[in-house]
Amino acid sequence: MSRIRNLNDVMVGVLLIALSIFALILARPLNPGTVDAMGPGFFPRLLAAIEMVLGIAIVAQGLLTEGEPFEAWYPRQILFVLGSIAFFALTIDRFGAVIAVAGTVLVSCLARRQTRFIEAVLVAAGMAVFVVLVFRVGLGLPMRVWPWGHIY
Amino acid sequence: MDSFVSLYHGFTIALLPANILYCLSGTLVGTLIGVLPGIGPLSAIAILLPITFYLEPASALIMLAGIYYGAQYGGSTSAILLNLPGENSSVVTCLDGHQMARQGRAGPALAVAALASLCAGVVATLVIALFAPPISKLALMFGPAEYFSLMVLGLIAAIVLAHGSVLKALGMIILGLLLGCVGTDVESGSLRMALGFPGLFDGIGFVPLAMGLFGVGEIIRNIESDHHQTVMQTRIRDLWPSREDFRRFWPAAGRGTLVGCILGILPGGGATLGSFAAYTIEKKISRTPERFGKGAVEGVAAPEAANNAGAQTSFIPLLTLGIPSNAMMALMAGALLIHGIQPGPRVITSNPDIFWGLIASMLLGNALLVVINLPLVGIWVQLLRVPYHLFYPMILVFCCIGVYTVNSSVLDVMLLMVFGFLGYMLSKWRCEPAPLLLAFVLGPLMEENLRRAMQVSYGDPAIFVTRPISAGLLVAALGCLILVLLPAFRRTREVAFQEES
Repeated sequence: MSRIRNLNDVMVGVLLIALSIFALILARPLNPGTVDAMGPGFFPRLLAAIEMVLGIAIVAQGLLTEGEPFEAWYPRQILFVLGSIAFFALTIDRFGAVIAVAGTVLVSCLARRQTRFIEAVLVAAGMAVFVVLVFRVGLGLPMRVWPWGHIY
Repeated sequence: MDSFVSLYHGFTIALLPANILYCLSGTLVGTLIGVLPGIGPLSAIAILLPITFYLEPASALIMLAGIYYGAQYGGSTSAILLNLPGENSSVVTCLDGHQMARQGRAGPALAVAALASLCAGVVATLVIALFAPPISKLALMFGPAEYFSLMVLGLIAAIVLAHGSVLKALGMIILGLLLGCVGTDVESGSLRMALGFPGLFDGIGFVPLAMGLFGVGEIIRNIESDHHQTVMQTRIRDLWPSREDFRRFWPAAGRGTLVGCILGILPGGGATLGSFAAYTIEKKISRTPERFGKGAVEGVAAPEAANNAGAQTSFIPLLTLGIPSNAMMALMAGALLIHGIQPGPRVITSNPDIFWGLIASMLLGNALLVVINLPLVGIWVQLLRVPYHLFYPMILVFCCIGVYTVNSSVLDVMLLMVFGFLGYMLSKWRCEPAPLLLAFVLGPLMEENLRRAMQVSYGDPAIFVTRPISAGLLVAALGCLILVLLPAFRRTREVAFQEES
């Protein structure tokens, strides 16, 4: 066994195999039914089985054929962009739109080292005002504005 | 002639003041997004989808369609002025359009692009009006077996046009179908693979999935490389093309429109393919091919006409068969579904307002694009100076707010994060996620038809090959699959995509 020729394909294949096993576990309690009267478990199992075969084939393809080079990942960018979304999810219900929006902007600005603090603060303030004016005042969508406010 | 009476009816809807306003704002927003490199029409529509939930279905679709062809148009503006394609289908416009701009002819280049889009838009609208009703009548005769086979064909055809490995595209399709299974099973009412989250009982949300895969994933990729663009200092004067330009313009725009219309209807087709094909054809049949790449008017007119025509005719399979032919149309299908309209042959008869209103609005929108955008070119260029590092936090906020307000669901925002990461991983591993979205939209429909077909045939899978239409569709799907796997075709396909990137 020499080196892996196409790591991209191997990774996709492994991901698909893992997801298909996960789907099979989730589909276990579902009744597959019979071919002429399929139950809720039939289609998911069928798909998961096909997915596993495809996953194995993609791994094999990655081992046997040459492909494009593996690209580096950038943990900083991934962490702070995804983190900013998580921040929004965790704060919007409890602390309201102003804190959630401003925090999302500030966290996402951390993804790029060169962004100046003052720039980030200005964008954060601007976006918080904009979102509250447009989505809450203008469109009247249900969301808390301040931690002590009401959702509706 | 029925079509024209209905088209007239469509105009009475499209010309309602509110709808003119939505069409206008759609085209403006679309142009804005198309101009900005780094955010393509797909992510743009995914991000803006939630806004349209609060509109009437017809208005929502009119606005979304406006964003779509506005983005096509805006993409060509930045392609011409900056040599930066705002989106995929304007890659070829860069070749000659930017050369024209460098020769001080940015004005005529922009005008040619706009006029080509307008003329293609008018023709494509008439094509939809004429061909959609008969196709939908045909589709009404389809049974579950035919529908299932049609969807198989649609999904397989999407692979032919996806980048890279066929196996990976197939894997994405199955993954999309699996994600589509999550939630309550319509027939038995039992809960499937929801992990106990009440927020997943109705299935995975279309908005967080689409926005995560295309919007968030793209943002992370964009800020990895700290790209900053320099705007070419061009004064845009003498907007109007010369008589000589016009002589070259008309035939090229005509051919481009034709190519775009045909390629737009095919499953898996759309704007990008059309613009590449049209450029290649122009270059092949030109008596002076050496002028291409050095600022030939035909090289701008043909692809611009083709991509606009393709963008519009790709609505035909969606509105007549209920089969979205590319990821963009999958988004449109999602928008319709959210408004409680099942895309398919019944749309024309049961929701004529939506169908004909949308078509009429396309004519209106194309005219608006030309009238409004040419004078506004200066403003768009100014916008290009907003640095991306201040822009992406705003996009992220819009993503979060957009996803959250659909159902006031925190879980959906979490899903946005999960799918954003998935989108990033897949693009790092050279795996195009577009087929996934297509399959996700088609999944529930496909399962339903599979189950019904098997009930009808008492469990005999032969039903798919003994019914002639179904068999024909499956043979076509098989043909597509064989075609991609053939070494000769494979090479051309690879070359075609290389030119693209």
